[in-house]
Formats: sequence, structure tokens, C-alpha cells
Amino acid sequence: MMRKIEDSPLYGIANPKSIAIFGASNRYTAMGTGILTSILQMGYEGRIYPVHPSETTVLGHTAYQSVLDLPETPDLAIMVLPTRIVPDVMEECGKKGIKYAIVVSGGFKETGRDGAVLEDRLKQTADKYGIRFLGPNCIGAVNTHLKLNATFMPCEHPPGFIGMASQSGSFITQMFAYLGRYGIGFSNGFSVGNEANIDIVDCMEYLAQCPNTKVISLYIESIRRGREFIDTARKIAPHKPIVAYYAGGTEAGRRAGLSHTGALAGEDRVYEGVFRQSGVIRAHSIEELFDFCWCLGTCDLPAGNRVIVQTHSGGPGAVAADACARSGLELPALSESTRQKLSEYLPQTASMNNPVDLTFTKNNMDFFVEIPRILMAEPNADALLMYLMLPRRNITRFIESTGLSTEAARAETEKFIAEQSRQLAEAMLASEKPWVGFSYYSGESPFIRGLYDAGAPVLPGPNRAARAIGAMVEYKRLREKLNASA
Amino acid sequence: MDIIDQALARNQRALSEHEAKNLLSAYGIPVTREIPATSRESAVDAAGQLGYPVVLKGTGADLMHKTESGVVFVNIEDEAGLTGAYDTIAERLGSAFEGVLVQEMVSGKRELVLGLHREPQFGPCVMLGLGGVLTEVINDTVFRVAPFDEVEARDMAAGLRSRDILKAFRGEAAADMDTLVHCLRTLGRIGLEHDSIAEIDINPVIITLDGGLRAVDALVVLKEDKNDAQN
Repeated sequence: MMRKIEDSPLYGIANPKSIAIFGASNRYTAMGTGILTSILQMGYEGRIYPVHPSETTVLGHTAYQSVLDLPETPDLAIMVLPTRIVPDVMEECGKKGIKYAIVVSGGFKETGRDGAVLEDRLKQTADKYGIRFLGPNCIGAVNTHLKLNATFMPCEHPPGFIGMASQSGSFITQMFAYLGRYGIGFSNGFSVGNEANIDIVDCMEYLAQCPNTKVISLYIESIRRGREFIDTARKIAPHKPIVAYYAGGTEAGRRAGLSHTGALAGEDRVYEGVFRQSGVIRAHSIEELFDFCWCLGTCDLPAGNRVIVQTHSGGPGAVAADACARSGLELPALSESTRQKLSEYLPQTASMNNPVDLTFTKNNMDFFVEIPRILMAEPNADALLMYLMLPRRNITRFIESTGLSTEAARAETEKFIAEQSRQLAEAMLASEKPWVGFSYYSGESPFIRGLYDAGAPVLPGPNRAARAIGAMVEYKRLREKLNASA
Repeated sequence: MDIIDQALARNQRALSEHEAKNLLSAYGIPVTREIPATSRESAVDAAGQLGYPVVLKGTGADLMHKTESGVVFVNIEDEAGLTGAYDTIAERLGSAFEGVLVQEMVSGKRELVLGLHREPQFGPCVMLGLGGVLTEVINDTVFRVAPFDEVEARDMAAGLRSRDILKAFRGEAAADMDTLVHCLRTLGRIGLEHDSIAEIDINPVIITLDGGLRAVDALVVLKEDKNDAQN
């Protein structure tokens, strides 16, 4: 395990001060042009050197016929070139003294024998010059904190805390908008492609050390260095959570082994064991992968699996309780002291069981701040799961009924919602126990939008929220297991 | 190890049950007391030494799944039962018949399966599951990559859906977890130390009334040629 982040090959990939890009032109349909456009649009502040055989400028930047002509040795080369010339370009980069590269080009090992031969040549050339490279057949890399988006898709979400390594580039680039919708995002994203030189294990080591990364997220189709994966993950997981989605199929009995063991060892079962042994939290969908990252990156860990559900609507509370049970969570009864403290805030109609169903509170802020504060002090509970909604139109209607004009009522509504949202987010983020919201509203509701923007976890629906709390409990257990081993 | 080398020299695809148990026993995995016999008389002697009731299993070249072949008789209570079973086994196996294995009869309601196989990317992997004839149907199994420590072995057992059968169960004592941990870790060690072993099945491992473990049947499959061993 490396000691300093600078020792990681990914450091060079993710933190270049200057970049040579091959395959960008003034033709907007070219993939290389798309990547350079992404780099420029995000506002990368380093120096950019397009290399192009005939263009003199590319997207406004001076272009060079050969990498050897560049006025300096850039930190990183990005290649978006026809497959057959990639090894030669790698050779030239080596001669120039470049040490890091991203090979976006496909057509290598993934296409068959000829491609594999070419990939071997590429690897040998890189080795000869000590070049470390991502890919080939990948979609690039992103470091939002450096405003570096070396991928084909625009990344508009704010710098985030999820460090992702993916064997599918789509789960980097096509997640930009998805994550942005919830106000979360990648710190770094690495599309590893064929993993000819840098693999998932290298990425995990980098992300473990990366100060902007709070949670490591993996999309895995196949682990190439099995033992190294386990050993590395076991060293990282006590300090930083790792969440993985594994897409290997769910087949059983694919083997023609002579033993029962061989027949029972479906890939999925083996990976299940590998993840647990590695201290890696397993997600069962891509949504869940990022739900888990969201909560693990924003909440303190729960001490145990006891959850209080707070709601003002019966159905959503009941569904949340059901979802908790399914996720291995318990709903403890409230202690007498908690009940006493609550009673001054609650109307006659409220239930002081768990779920705590408030039906209606005298003062909105009681629901969002005062009551949860009491529930958070409950010694028998480890986390709070809270139903959230604050529909704008309803509030405007109520305010109008006090005699204000529609316009004034609307302005008052905005102010009111923003204030509620702000105070709730503040309380959620300051909580020492996990405090997770769930809602059937999303960013279209200004109240929920405000919570997203402040960084508070509000998951779509009770099932996803309960699963995410379950994942935090699981992480705590895995961490304790690894610490017991150490 | 001699047992393996000799079997390889004889071009065996797998160790015989008795060889497999000798191997496991040498590593401290508890196996049934058993005596091979090649005649009715020596089988009767063996049963006398072990004490009735006994189990009688036919042995023959490349006979890997004996239950399905109808050459396993359990709970034999006396000499008449033993000689009758012996004759039936000899008849069913015909020219493949080599002899029998006389085993102590192990009682216990709970059966586990332990195993070892190899994964190209992970190397030797150890399996723990609910054992017995319903193993494949119930399919309650957990895996770990060797080597792993005691904490991991215990976590493995905790990962079974049917983990509660390891606790005290219907008048039978809780399973001896230290022994189970030892067996799981040892299987991994065997996988790491012997490239020539492709797969191991220990099915069932019976949890005895007092919570002890006993490997009642075992299969050790060898690699077809040494080149496979590079996995």
C-alpha cells in the first residue's frame, strides 16, 4: 500500500498541470473534440496542447504537428486516436518524457486477437518509458476539484465527495446529471477500460488517499487482481467506506466441476464472499450505489440498527417501518423521558409509538427541528428516518387566507420554505446520529431542492432510505470486523 | 504429500474417500473412524472393532458419488445386516468393485457442507453451506478466498441464512465453533499448499449431538494435469 498520494499513478492522471490531447480537431463530431470541449467548458486552468497533423489551431488553442514540437513536456497525454496509431503515439510521448496517459481509443483486446496484440505492444511501449496509463477503451477521467473533465459528456454538478472507479465509462459520464440532480457529485471518476496498465485496485489506492473523496464507489464486472483487491480494500475500509455494484450475472451452476462445491460456486456467490471479506458494502442497483455513497458521505455512522421513523402522514410512516424491517433495522419503543418531552409539542391526535406520527404540529419548525432534536436524544435509537414534504402551493394558500395578496403570499412562501429548508439541513448535517430524509417530492419542490443544495441526504422514497441506513449499519459492522482482525 | 503423489502416479482423477479422509485428518479435520476391507470377513472384523451401528460404503475406481450409485448402507446394526449389505454392494458394482469402507455411524440432525474450489482471479476459495442431500436445492452457501483469519471464518458462518442451526438445536448442543473455524481455515491452507488439488467436497459434515463435527464423506478431486495448477 502506497504511503503518499503522489506515489499513485492516478495522481498524475488526475492532477496534471498541462495536457497534450491527440484526436481533437475543429470537427465537432470527433470524440476527441468532444473531450477537449468538456475540458475547456469546465474551466480547466492548466495548459492545453492539441496535437494535430494538419490543423494550426484547435478550438482556439495553438496546435502542434507532433508531440515532440511542444514547448514543454506536458504532465498528461490524452489519446483519442485510431487504434492502429496509438502505440506509435505512445512511443513519441515516451520520447518526449510524458509519464501519464489516458487512452480513450478502443479496438484493442476487447475486439479479439489482433486487438490483443496491439494492446500488448501498447503496454510494452509504455513500460519501456515508464508511462502509466488509463484504458485503453475507456471514457476518460474527471477531477471536479481541479475543474478537469476529460470525458465526452459535460459535467455540471458541483465538486463532490464520491470517488468512482468504473469498468463502464457510462457510470461515470451518464451519472453527472443524475448525481447533480441530488446536489451530490464525483470528486474523481476514473473509467478504467481494459485495465491494461492501471486497474480498479490502483484507483482504490488513490481514492483512499484523496482528500476530496469521502466514499469510494466501484462498478465492477470482473476483478482482475483478486488477492490484491481484497488486501487493499481491507486496508482502506476501516478508514473510508467502499461501496461496490457488481454486474456479473446471477447464474448458478455454470461450472461442470466434479464436486458439489464447484457447482455451487456461482460467480455471484463468490463475489458476495469477496466483498464481505474485503469490507466492501455491496449495492444491488446503481441507484443504491449512489444512495449509499450519499448517506455514508454526509452522515456519522450509527451506533446500531435502531431507527426512529418520524412522519406526519400515516401511510408513508408505515411503509418506512416496513422497509426498515426488510433492511435489518429495528424500530425501538420510545423511552418514558422522550415521551414526556414530546408531549408538549404534540396534538391529541399524534402517536408516540414508533413510527412517531405527528399528524399535525402546532408550529412547522417543531416538526423539522424541535421534535427531531428530542428524538435524536432518545438513548434507545441510533438513527432518524424522516418523512419530508412541504408543498409550496399549500403554504401559499394558507398565507393568502390571512389576507395577503397572491403576490405577497408567494414571496412570503419562498422566504418561509427557504428558511425551513435551511434550518432543517443545518440540523441534519450537525447531527451526531444519521438523520436521513425520504420524500416522494424531488428537486422540483423548492423545499427539497434547498435540502439537496445544502448537502442533506433526502432519498427518493422510504425503501431506498431504509436500505441506505442499513448500509451504514453494515459498514459499521464490517469496520468492526476488520479492526478485530488487525 | 504422499497420498496425493501416489494418487497422481496412479492417474487417479480423485482420491478415494478413505485417502481423502486420511489427508483431511492429517490436517486436523475431524473425520469418521473407518476401516477399509476387501472381504466379508475383514468387514465383519472391522465392524467389530468400530462397534455397531456402522455404515458400509462400496469402493471402486472413479466412484465419486456413492449415494447415487446405491452402494451406501447406513445404520447397520449387526453382522447379518453387514454381510447382506456387503453382498449387495459387490453385486451392484460388479467388475468395478474393489472393496468396502466400514465406518462408525455418526448421529446428528444437522449437516454442513464444506468445500474448496479455485477461481481464476482469486485462487483457492473455501465454501461453507447447509449440507446433506438437499445442499443444491437449498443452496445456502458462503465463500471466502484463502487465506483468511479466525474473525473472517466466524463471519463466514454468520453469513449463512441458516446460521441458527449452529446454535443449540432441538436437544443437540451448539456446534463447536473453534473446530468449524479450524476446518474452514485449514481447507484454505490445503488449497494454498497443494496446487494439484482442484476441488474438495466434504459433504456432509455432521454436527454431532454434543456439538462436535465429523466429516462423514469427502471427495478430493485432483487436477487433470500439472499445467492446470497455474490457476
